Amino acid sequence: MNGYLADQAFIPAHHQPAVLIDLIHDQGIDLNRLLRHTGLFQEQILSGEARLSPHGWLQLIHNARRLLPDPELSFRYGQRLFPGHYGAISALLGNAGNLHDALQVFTGFSKLVFPLLGARLTVTDQHLCLHWLDSCGNGSEHRFVVEAAMAGLASVTRWLSGERLPWAFQFRHARPSYPEQYQVHLGDTLYFDGQLDAMILPRHYLESPWPGASTIAWRAAKQQCQPQLDPLAGGDSFRLYLYRQLLQNVASPPSLQQLANPLQCSPATLKRRLRDQGCHYQQLLDQARLHQAIHWLQFHGYSTEQVARQLNFTDSTNFRRSFKRWSGLTPAACQRALAATMGSLYPA
Amino acid sequence: MGNMTALHRWSIAAIVATGLCILILNLAVGALKPAADIAWLDIAGEGGAALLSLMWTFFIFNSRPAGWVTRLLSGGLAFIFFSYWQDVLDEFIQLPAHVHWDHWVESGSMPLGMILLTLGIYHWHREQRAINRQLLKRERIFREHRSFDALTPLSDARYLREQLALELQHTQQPVSLIMIDLDCFDHSRRLLGSADGDRLLRELSELLVLNLRQKDLLCRYAGDRFAVVLPATERLIAENLGRELKQAADHFAFKTRRGETHRVTVHTGLAVSHHDSADSLIERANRCLLQSRSGQPRVA
Repeated sequence: MNGYLADQAFIPAHHQPAVLIDLIHDQGIDLNRLLRHTGLFQEQILSGEARLSPHGWLQLIHNARRLLPDPELSFRYGQRLFPGHYGAISALLGNAGNLHDALQVFTGFSKLVFPLLGARLTVTDQHLCLHWLDSCGNGSEHRFVVEAAMAGLASVTRWLSGERLPWAFQFRHARPSYPEQYQVHLGDTLYFDGQLDAMILPRHYLESPWPGASTIAWRAAKQQCQPQLDPLAGGDSFRLYLYRQLLQNVASPPSLQQLANPLQCSPATLKRRLRDQGCHYQQLLDQARLHQAIHWLQFHGYSTEQVARQLNFTDSTNFRRSFKRWSGLTPAACQRALAATMGSLYPA
Repeated sequence: MGNMTALHRWSIAAIVATGLCILILNLAVGALKPAADIAWLDIAGEGGAALLSLMWTFFIFNSRPAGWVTRLLSGGLAFIFFSYWQDVLDEFIQLPAHVHWDHWVESGSMPLGMILLTLGIYHWHREQRAINRQLLKRERIFREHRSFDALTPLSDARYLREQLALELQHTQQPVSLIMIDLDCFDHSRRLLGSADGDRLLRELSELLVLNLRQKDLLCRYAGDRFAVVLPATERLIAENLGRELKQAADHFAFKTRRGETHRVTVHTGLAVSHHDSADSLIERANRCLLQSRSGQPRVA
C-alpha cells in the first residue's frame, strides 16, 4: 500500500495519543470513559505494545472533547505535543538547526510526527507558507486537530528558536465563539473563513540559525526515521499520496484509471479505498486545483488569466466559474482577501 | 473530582453495619409475626420513610467532602433512618414484653437525629456564607456553573463578556478593564512541566484575587491571560490598581514541586469604557497589553 490508511493501527498509543490521555487524566477524569470505543486498555498502553489507527486517535479526541468540553483543550494538547518523546522523530525535531529543518519534519515525516495532518511548504522571495492538509478524513474533529497542530508548531518553534515568531494564521473554518483562545495561544494575526489552513511567516526566518541544535544528532535521527517511511508515499497517507500525484500534474491531472494503474488495482477498488479515507476522486482533484490556484494567486502574484492558462482552462470565464464552485468565492474576491492577509504581514 | 462517595466509605459501612445489627438483634430476641397480623399500609409508610432518609444520607455523602458539616448532616439523617428502620421491623417481628431497647432505638434516635440535622443545617448555612465571601470577587452577583474555567477557580471569557455587557448597560459611570499576561509563559511551562505550570496559573489567580476590591471581578481570559473588571472606576484609580496587581505578581515567588523559586513577570493593559460594547472594550485592553509587551525588553 502506498501511504498509511485511516484504519491502519501503526501509531504507538504511548506517543502522541498518550499526551491527550495524560492531559485528561490530570483533570481527574475516568480513563475508562476516555478510552471507550478506541480499542485501547490502560495496561496495554503502559506496556508500550498498543498501536492506534488514525481513526482510533480521532475517536479518542472525540471522547476527550465530550468529557472535557473546554475550548482550550486543543491548544493545551498542541502545546504539549512537540518535540515530545516519540523516539527518533522527536530527536530530529529537537535538533532542528533552523526553521527549515523543523518544517521538513512536518512536511516529510508526518506519518511519524503527526499522522492526522500532512503539510506542504511553499517558499517565495518574501514568504513561507505551511499549508496543513487532512490526512485521513478527520471529519468533525478537523478543527480540533488543526488547532492542536498549529498551537503545537507555534509553541515548538518558539521554544527551539528562543523567540516568538510572528506567524499569521489562516483557517478554513469560521470565526469560532471562543476567539480569545486563538488570540492568546496563537497570536493576533488571524484570518477565518479562508481557503487554506495555513501558517505564514516572512521568509527570512527560514534560514536563521537556532541555538542548541546538534547537526550530528539531526543527521543520525534522520537516518533512523527514513526506513520507517513508505518507499513511494514517503511520510504521507494514502489520501495525501494521491493528492500530491494530482498536484504535481495539476495542468493535466491523471484520471482515476491512471491513478489506479501503478497501484495495481481497478478504478472501482481505488474508489472504495478513497471512500474509506473520507474523500473521492473529484474532491481531491478540485482540492489540488484550488490549492494550486491559490498558491499562484497568493504567493506568485499571478493574474486570474495566468492561473487559468496554467491550469489548462480554455478561457478565464470557465476558470472563474470553476473557482467559484471550489471555493465559494470569485478569484478576484479571493485575491483581495489574500492581499489583506499578506498586507498585514508587512505593514507599510 | 469524580465521586465523593469513596471519601466516606467508613461512614457508609458504619451505617450499614448498625442497620444490620438492629435487624439481627430483633431476630434474635423476637419472633416473626403471622402474616395475618401484618399491617401492610404501615409498612409502606414507614418503609418508604426509612428508604428516603437513607437515600438523603447517600446524596449528602455523594456531594460533599469530608468534614464537620458533612458528619452532622449525615449523622442526623442516619439516626432518623435507624428510628424508621426499627419501626418497620416492629411490623414484622414481635418482641417479648420485657424488652425495652427497641423503644429507645425507635423514640430515642429520632430526636437525636433531628438535633444533629438542625445543627448540621445551621453550620451548612455558615459555611455557605464563608464560601460566598470567597467567591465574591470571582463571580460577583451571578452564579453560573457552566462558565467555570477548567483549570483555575475562576470564570471564563464567556462569563467575562456577559458580565462586562451587564456592567456597561447598567451604569453611567466608566467601567475599566485590565488584561494581565504572563511574560514567556510558554517557556515557563516547558521548564516547569505541565503540572507545575497549571499550578502556577492557579496560585497566581489566588494572588490576584487578594489584591482586588470587593466589587471587582477576576476571570481567566485564555491561556496565561487574566481579565479584571473594575465597575464604576475612573482611569486614574484603575491605573493604580493595575500597578498594584503588577507589583504583586512581580513579587510572587512561585515554588516548584522541588521547592525551587520560579519568578514571573507580567504585563498589563488597561481600557476604560467610552460607550463601547464588551467586545470593543476587551479588544482595546488587549491592544494596550500588546503595546506594553512589545515596549519591554525581551526576557528569555
